[in-house]
Amino acid sequence: MSIGDLLSIITFVSDSLGLSGTLANIVNTVVYAVLIAILIVVFDYLFGWLERKTIAKIQARHGPTYVGTYGILQNLADFVKLLAKEHVVPKNADKYLFLGTIPMMLSISIFLILLLPFAPTLIESNIGLGMLVVFVLLSFMPLVIFVNGFASGNKFAGISAQRSVIMLASYEIPLLLVLAAVGALAGSYNIASIISAQNNYWFAVMMPIGFVIFFIAMLAEVERPPFDMREADNELIAGWLTDVSAPYYTLALFLDYSRMFLGSLLIVILFLGGWNGPLLPPIVWLLLKCFIVAFFIIVIRATTVRMRIDKLLRFGWIWLMPLALLNLIITYLIFIR
Amino acid sequence: MTTINIGPIHPSTHGVLRLVAEIDGDTVVRVEPHIGFLHRGVEKLVETRMYMQSPPYMEKLDYVAPMAYDEVYVAAVEKALGVDVKERAMYVRVVLLELQRIASHLLWLGTMANDLGQLFTVFMWAFRDRDMVLRLLEEAAGARMFYVNMRLGGLIRDLPEGFQEKADEVLDYLDKRVKEYEDYLEKNPIFMQRMRGVGILSREDALNLGVTGPVLRGSGVKYDVRKNSPYYVYDKLYFEPQVRNEGDCFARYKVRMLELRSSIRLARMAMEKMPAGDAVGMQIRLILPEAKNRIVTVNRELPRGECFMYLVADPQKPYRLSIRDPSFINLAAFGELAKGARTADLFAILGSLDMVMGGVDR
Repeated sequence: MSIGDLLSIITFVSDSLGLSGTLANIVNTVVYAVLIAILIVVFDYLFGWLERKTIAKIQARHGPTYVGTYGILQNLADFVKLLAKEHVVPKNADKYLFLGTIPMMLSISIFLILLLPFAPTLIESNIGLGMLVVFVLLSFMPLVIFVNGFASGNKFAGISAQRSVIMLASYEIPLLLVLAAVGALAGSYNIASIISAQNNYWFAVMMPIGFVIFFIAMLAEVERPPFDMREADNELIAGWLTDVSAPYYTLALFLDYSRMFLGSLLIVILFLGGWNGPLLPPIVWLLLKCFIVAFFIIVIRATTVRMRIDKLLRFGWIWLMPLALLNLIITYLIFIR
Repeated sequence: MTTINIGPIHPSTHGVLRLVAEIDGDTVVRVEPHIGFLHRGVEKLVETRMYMQSPPYMEKLDYVAPMAYDEVYVAAVEKALGVDVKERAMYVRVVLLELQRIASHLLWLGTMANDLGQLFTVFMWAFRDRDMVLRLLEEAAGARMFYVNMRLGGLIRDLPEGFQEKADEVLDYLDKRVKEYEDYLEKNPIFMQRMRGVGILSREDALNLGVTGPVLRGSGVKYDVRKNSPYYVYDKLYFEPQVRNEGDCFARYKVRMLELRSSIRLARMAMEKMPAGDAVGMQIRLILPEAKNRIVTVNRELPRGECFMYLVADPQKPYRLSIRDPSFINLAAFGELAKGARTADLFAILGSLDMVMGGVDR
């Protein structure tokens, strides 16, 4: 299926209804959103399976084998099981905040994926400052987790909420500094232009320090080990998810993988040349790179030890921040001046 | 200041330990272990049984290294009854006990890494390696977990044919694996950050709190029952107690890693020097030779520290048995160690103490 086919699917509904102008645009957006949502669901599912299988291989286990070929249906079975469980809201919880924030986070992350382009012609929103919009919304997520943690009324979730804010303070500034360097190098914050600026060289080659910092900060952003202090399953039981019962926990799992998808997409778009690549169509390249980045994130998860929250703050301010500044200066001196 | 309740059902309390921690921000002000969820009254139970009916109860005290506990009790009974252990049986016991120590330390290694937030990777690897040792023990004793293979004066049976070759193979493999674990963990800067300088137990505190085993040796005290009051053939085998001076979690980790190596060497050495002969002990009978000594004490180096058994003997059954369990005493040091630590380090320290709740609650 080529990009042209995809585009014709998007405009199919509005064309067949004979719509035009603003109304057609709205219908097209909705159709696009549904398509992307399906893509996210498929990818989240595949990430979940990849994670289980990869970690199992690293740990000298088999992983799921029983449900479906190579255990491909295991996550579906788990999903159904979780949905069938009882839904409990703790007495101490602020019900609306507690239950409202998880769907909210999920919709933020899906919305962010919606803002990202998947192919040169498959761009929903071509905003001039698209990348800034993405990062502003992204830094909103830890605050929502903070609200959720305190709303649940559980002490472990409360500690997790505090950690969430500390984490935000430790990696957000280096992240934005690297983003500034990317913007300066591409000459634009438009996502499509950032990708097309990497036609010759990937930004990961042009500023390796920035890439490493961004990768580390992204691990923290999507709450992956070694920076999963918020969830810290053997300290805080499940962190801010401790009191979240089954149906909402399903959403939380979904959120987890959506954020991983988002994180790897951002890494690919900003540093690994986005959809640039020979032979294969752009969207395939983009998703393939995504899978490779996700694989590395999973391998890191399986092999490392969790960092301590105060050490992360120290690491962020003593190493990441000066290095991010250095990266910005070097980028300016070599490529821009 | 928040008071949080950790356990008895919590992912990292290693069984049914309940901790009540007062936390100021991220710093632990005070932590109080609440124990007794696994109390079965074993010491009293033993009084109502004949001598050789009790080893199965003893094994459940430390379900990670059951054979070691079994051996302490049987040694106490042997001392009370005045039964001599056969020459070959001594060597066989040393081999099995060292293998048991290796199995126990491997389990500790896995759970320790798990407490630091490792996603079960080292845990799985360590369990796989532990299983090879368990298979050896199964061959020698006939069971995988609770062996009950100690008999008065010897064992239930001699080592099976070809045991030495198999054991040598496993020990060679483990030697390599221990190096791999060390490389894997110690070259990880985050691991070192989490272990170094965390939960420091000074030499004085260690002596005053009465901790034993790797916890004591991690604080720079060269005390090992196998060396200081040798039993069986430990005085004929060459080994040195492993000591580190830092007293932090890393020192305790390192001591256990070094002990894994020294246990591998000891098991090899004991197998080489093992004389031919008979290692089978007395059959289990309700009526045994009458006890000659009224009060006996036995101390042994278990994987977790020094176990001390005090037995007042009636002719055919114990009148009173009192056990000094190493995990229980080591856990008492936890409150001291955790003071001023970070919340996340609470579990690193708990993991480095390596206690088994079966022994703590008795």
